[in-house]
Amino acid sequence: MKSIIKSIRQVAIREVNRMTSRGLYILVVLVLPILSILFFASLFKEGVPTKMPIAIVDLDQTAISRRAARNIDVTPLSMVTEYLQSENEAMSELRSGNIYGFVVIPKNLQADILASRQPVVSYYYQNGFLIAGGLMQNDLTLILHTLSGGINKMKRETMGQPEDYIMAQVQPVQVSTHQLFNPTANYAVYIATIVLPIMLQLFILLITVYSIGIEIKEKTSHEWLHYSNKSIYVALSGKLLPYTVIFFVVMMFQNFVLYKILQVPMHTSIGWLMFVSLLYVLAYQAIGVFCIGLLPMMRHSLNLAAFYGILALTLCGFSFPIESMPAVFQYWASGFPVRHFMHIFQSQILAGFELRYSMISYLYLMLFLFVPFTILNRLKSALIYQNFIEIVHKH
Amino acid sequence: MKNTKITLGSQVREGISNTLRICMREFQLIFKDVGVMILVFAVPLIYPMLYSFIYYPEVVRDLPIAVVDLSKSSASRQYIRDLDATPDVKVANSSISMAEAVNMFKKRQVRGIVQIPETFTSDIALGRQTTVSVYADMEFFLYYKAIVTASSFVSLETGKHIQINNLLDKGLTERQAEITAEPFRMVDNAMANRAGGFASYGIPAALILIIQQTLIIAIGIMAGTARERHIFGTLVPLDRKRMGTLRLVIGKTAAYFTIYALLCVYMLGMIPEWFGYGQDASLTELTALITPFILSSIFMGLTLSVIFKNRESSMMLYLFTSIPLLFLSGIIWPLSNFSPVWLAVREIFPSSNAIFGYIKMNSLGATIFETRKEIMSLWIQTGVYFLTACFAYGYQVNYTAHLRSELASHPYREIRKRIAEEM
Repeated sequence: MKSIIKSIRQVAIREVNRMTSRGLYILVVLVLPILSILFFASLFKEGVPTKMPIAIVDLDQTAISRRAARNIDVTPLSMVTEYLQSENEAMSELRSGNIYGFVVIPKNLQADILASRQPVVSYYYQNGFLIAGGLMQNDLTLILHTLSGGINKMKRETMGQPEDYIMAQVQPVQVSTHQLFNPTANYAVYIATIVLPIMLQLFILLITVYSIGIEIKEKTSHEWLHYSNKSIYVALSGKLLPYTVIFFVVMMFQNFVLYKILQVPMHTSIGWLMFVSLLYVLAYQAIGVFCIGLLPMMRHSLNLAAFYGILALTLCGFSFPIESMPAVFQYWASGFPVRHFMHIFQSQILAGFELRYSMISYLYLMLFLFVPFTILNRLKSALIYQNFIEIVHKH
Repeated sequence: MKNTKITLGSQVREGISNTLRICMREFQLIFKDVGVMILVFAVPLIYPMLYSFIYYPEVVRDLPIAVVDLSKSSASRQYIRDLDATPDVKVANSSISMAEAVNMFKKRQVRGIVQIPETFTSDIALGRQTTVSVYADMEFFLYYKAIVTASSFVSLETGKHIQINNLLDKGLTERQAEITAEPFRMVDNAMANRAGGFASYGIPAALILIIQQTLIIAIGIMAGTARERHIFGTLVPLDRKRMGTLRLVIGKTAAYFTIYALLCVYMLGMIPEWFGYGQDASLTELTALITPFILSSIFMGLTLSVIFKNRESSMMLYLFTSIPLLFLSGIIWPLSNFSPVWLAVREIFPSSNAIFGYIKMNSLGATIFETRKEIMSLWIQTGVYFLTACFAYGYQVNYTAHLRSELASHPYREIRKRIAEEM
């Protein structure tokens, strides 16, 4: 036992020496992950989009239409940046990307309303962007309903109805929206909490494949095995240990940024947070080992890891829900640790549900740790026989 | 005078034939390299398909929700039926307590809860405002949107109905009542992606990003491999003469441009047509936008490639930018909320303007004139990166030439020794 620990330590020290010998390691393990964390933290620090530019086309130019125009400017989400003369002009501004939406107040609005002719107010918004389009639609509908309610109220006042009665009559059924388990209506938080782990898994996968693949490519695998007493277990543990430590620290820094600086609600103990972070790092290291074991030629296993890592953004289901995808992809999605991590985050960390609701996700994460055992023999023989070396013709 | 003309003519001719040779050699190297072939052909061919299939349903339909009906009246049951009838949500359970509903939510059996108050009917009868509570989580923007959209719609419709009934009781005619309740009609016009399909949000951006990222990584792999292959790790081979900077840059660019122009026919022509994404842009408009985009991506790739010392370097050091670049393009987070720093960083990468321009042209039908800002930026990037590529390659060419002349002055034995050390 003592000798095993000693060999693991030796291999780990050898690995740290290798890491410091090339700039690439420091970049992929520390510099780029931290830059990504800072990038997303800074991009999303405002939380909710504000002051998105919109335009008003007032073809009426009467008291009511001007009041409408003023009302449109009151919500924090949007800001009227342009008053335009025609619908065509506004459409061109929308196409140019200068505004996200516009409202057209028709000619004779006031006259039509007074004469009970029910004029038509149209609003247009750029729906080519997911968040901006959804927010714009909600915002413009809300504004126009408020306006409609105001006119309704004025009419009833002339009919001589009492004020409190009017309020109830104008909008008999009110909807109050609540956030179920997290009080902040902050999209940025939800994006950042998932995108950051996705960035990190990319770095973990790449460096795991690289650190093993380079031993095969540069024919140093014999030396590596020699240091580890020819045990593949010792070899892998020693090699991966320094990365586990570093990535765990990076992930805790990421948690610090998310929960302390961006103020994401956290309803679990620091112990669980550390446990799930460690499990996440280990699961991706395991998949990295699997990639290089499956395809011991580094150029191919790096492609595989890249393909898998980039796909996580889609198949973790935070952009488009997994439940709405075709069945094949629902199964495929289970093969991504980040998906289970996201469940744990949403259920245990963010909402503070009891552990039993995220138990299955923990089991899945642990299951990934056994994946490398399927290819250990193949990897070991690749390390011994070095039979996966690309032939390079030197000119 | 005549003499110089002939030399100039022959020089141009020689330059062109050398450029062509470099271009053909680049083709050869690309086609011989399986890794590069996968990146340049398999990824652009497969990814768009894969994404289109993953997002195939495009929209969230019939999201399961629970309704906590405390009123249990015919009016509340009508409300639930109306809610169920919307395309967005499906009422999975409507006769449970709040505690049970929360439990279902925790087990992910329902994704939202609507609570109808006990006083629902009496409020309506007495002309009081009643409040329906909607509990939704923001964890999925699309779920949140579906629940809020459905409940607001049904509440407004129910409210209008109640209001009209009350006005009729007051002795108004039906038309009068309707106009009082709804003084003007509102018409919702979603521009670009009218159906709000998810694939139509994401795929156009993905297509453009795939072009840029595979180009830059592939050029990086080629450069890294060249350095590994060449003696003394030079980027420009030692043993070949007539590899001028301009010839190298133009020759290589010609090879990549040809491949990617063909790929664009598939990615930007066939994929949108097969899967029904926006395709408002004409061939001329797309060409005006995509030409400077591919050129600037290639020149940026050539510039960056000189820093990649090994075959794996570009994948290790550049792949990760794909995700931040998606966010920098401005399709997820509105550009009006970007800080000046990130707006500046955004201008470094051709993909940002190309994605924005592509969505504007293809989904909104913007003309070349309306996309002039993006097209201009792309041409500026093309110019700047062409200069940096020439500068970077010029340095490499000079280095090789310097090394060659240095070696020429050494005795043969010494060179052999140095080569042996390199190997």
